[in-house]
Amino acid sequence: MSAREAILARARQAQRTGYLPKPDGAHDAGLKPCATTETMHGNVAQGFSPAIAELLPRFLKELKGVGVESYVEDSDDAVRARVREIVGNRAALAWDADRLPYGVGSTLTGAAIGASPRDVQAAAEIGVTGCHAALAETGSLVMLSGPGTPRSASLLPPVHLCVVRRADILESMGQWFAEHAAAIASAANCTFITGPSRTADIELTLTLGVHGPGKVIVVVGP
Amino acid sequence: MSATEPHGGVTQGDFSERVAGALADSHLRAALDNATRQLGSRRILALASLDNADTVRDQARAARLNALAHLPEFLERFEAKLVANGAHVHWAETPQEANRIIVEVAKQTSTRCAVKSKSMVSEETHLNEALEEAGVDVVETDLGEYIVQLRRDRPSHIVAPIIHLTKQDVAAVMQQRLSVPYTEDTQELAAIARRHLRKEFLRAEMGISGANFGVVETGTICLVTNEGNGRMISTMPRVHVALMGIEKLVETMADLDRCVKVLARSATGQKITVYTTLVRGPRGPRDTDGPEEFHVVLLDNGRSRILAGETAEILACIRCGACLNACPVYRTIGGHAYGDTYPGPVGAIVTPGLRGLHDWSALPHASSLCGACREVCPVRIDIPRMLLELRREAAPHAEPQSLRPAMKMFAWVASRPRVYRAAAKAARWALRRLERNGWIRRLPGLAGGWTKSRDFKAPPGPSFQEMWRERQRQKGRAA
Repeated sequence: MSAREAILARARQAQRTGYLPKPDGAHDAGLKPCATTETMHGNVAQGFSPAIAELLPRFLKELKGVGVESYVEDSDDAVRARVREIVGNRAALAWDADRLPYGVGSTLTGAAIGASPRDVQAAAEIGVTGCHAALAETGSLVMLSGPGTPRSASLLPPVHLCVVRRADILESMGQWFAEHAAAIASAANCTFITGPSRTADIELTLTLGVHGPGKVIVVVGP
Repeated sequence: MSATEPHGGVTQGDFSERVAGALADSHLRAALDNATRQLGSRRILALASLDNADTVRDQARAARLNALAHLPEFLERFEAKLVANGAHVHWAETPQEANRIIVEVAKQTSTRCAVKSKSMVSEETHLNEALEEAGVDVVETDLGEYIVQLRRDRPSHIVAPIIHLTKQDVAAVMQQRLSVPYTEDTQELAAIARRHLRKEFLRAEMGISGANFGVVETGTICLVTNEGNGRMISTMPRVHVALMGIEKLVETMADLDRCVKVLARSATGQKITVYTTLVRGPRGPRDTDGPEEFHVVLLDNGRSRILAGETAEILACIRCGACLNACPVYRTIGGHAYGDTYPGPVGAIVTPGLRGLHDWSALPHASSLCGACREVCPVRIDIPRMLLELRREAAPHAEPQSLRPAMKMFAWVASRPRVYRAAAKAARWALRRLERNGWIRRLPGLAGGWTKSRDFKAPPGPSFQEMWRERQRQKGRAA
């Protein structure tokens, strides 16, 4: 018998023993229908209604809470100017220009991209990306890997600058899962970034920038 | 870690020795006290940030119990999804099998260097030693685990592996092993680790991780990290291997959401960890980074046996470490005294389950049964119930007959107040002869069983009845 069959056979046998407690019915009322994302979507969609006007301030507050610097701009031009100012003359590693919102790519002349040699990417001083969604509840940036949206840009440089479209701000991870199941299923990797890379391994002292960027900056556009 | 052989069992004697060692280490006790206290209060604040924390905990519990109740079907569905997503799926019954599979993948992919993010399961299988024997350099990349590796130490906490070390300890080992100037500045220590490990991420052919969860409906692995090493090892090397216990499943993304919500809050007091990564498969055809091969190794190692017994519920554990921080025993003795991969209340159940109760029967006794672990558990696992169950299973068959004469004698004494008072007075007098600084280290005869693993509080001065009589007498005099 293969390891697979042996494990499955033992697990089936275990199912018949009945030692596993049942979830407490009183606590779990109304939970069961969550078998698929479709039903979950149906169940919770009503819960995800706050207007963008409410989501933006919550998102900014959460960003502040996790140590992210943020700017809110009201025009495409202002976003581009802000990005230009932040990047300065640092070597950048960016998403492909056609994947960045507000024409931000045009301000990044000479930036490395995902197709650049790895040592060039690794030497970048700032990563510039968009995001596929932003979550107000936790101040998270959602990144899907794919053509033109390399993971390296939000991971390798010591600073990560993320440009967020205001309309992409959602309530929570639950809403993102419920409403974007197809997008998630099409990407090899989906990462939620919430603040700068950190550790508290040494005497529980907060230390930033261990492996990922030690500084994260968000620019929210119109 | 220098031991090639998995550790042997912990007899009561070994356990007592380790505990005595831990208790004598005032440096360890101060570090533990500070860390567990802080983690405990951060957890409370973080849970308060959920308006419906109790409901979410119930939902997370239901998600985990549901996955365990349907484990064989879910494993098959999970496997089918993974394969459809382009992953290679391997099954291992034993740690040796899991290690063999990963060594084989390393050979096939010409791996000379493997970078690892934190994985308790790989501690369980002693994967590093197996890979090193096969000529592969293995580098731990979680800062705490990296220091553990540099010191050839063992992690002492599920979430905070070097909870037992001070920054001076860390500074010393970095200076010695990495030839860098001595510094106690934690920011600088982290920067040194970043520089050293960045080179390893870029040269490694293989990345190895555990898995915090496996999502059945999508065939997704979820990794949660704060440092970004989980992203690094699943992005930079050509091959990514995830080693996971078969119990780590949740059925849906909605279930995952609920579990993630309580995991970070309970573990480190964050609403969500800095990086929550969902790995669905190898890189897409037009992606410029991400692994070309993605392997998932599903390890049983006793889990299916646990599922068939009284401690099945412990498999719902999401490894947050909250029960360690809350446990008065863990907080006093630390993780190493437990002798195996999983310390604390959860370890006292998991270790006998994975390794056999016979050799590890001391662990279920390392608890005061205060129930703090059950209180803080994000998925409400009834740990004290199972500790008692394991104690019962491990106990030699009791002979109530032998107790009967003693109980009869006690009943005779206890039902005669004069005799009882006299006996109590005599006992107090005798006990005070054994006292030193308010405590008795060793009781004579049968009572010695009590003092084998703990001291006995010496009786205080006069008894309550004596004090009462004295008080009445003084009142009478005053009046």
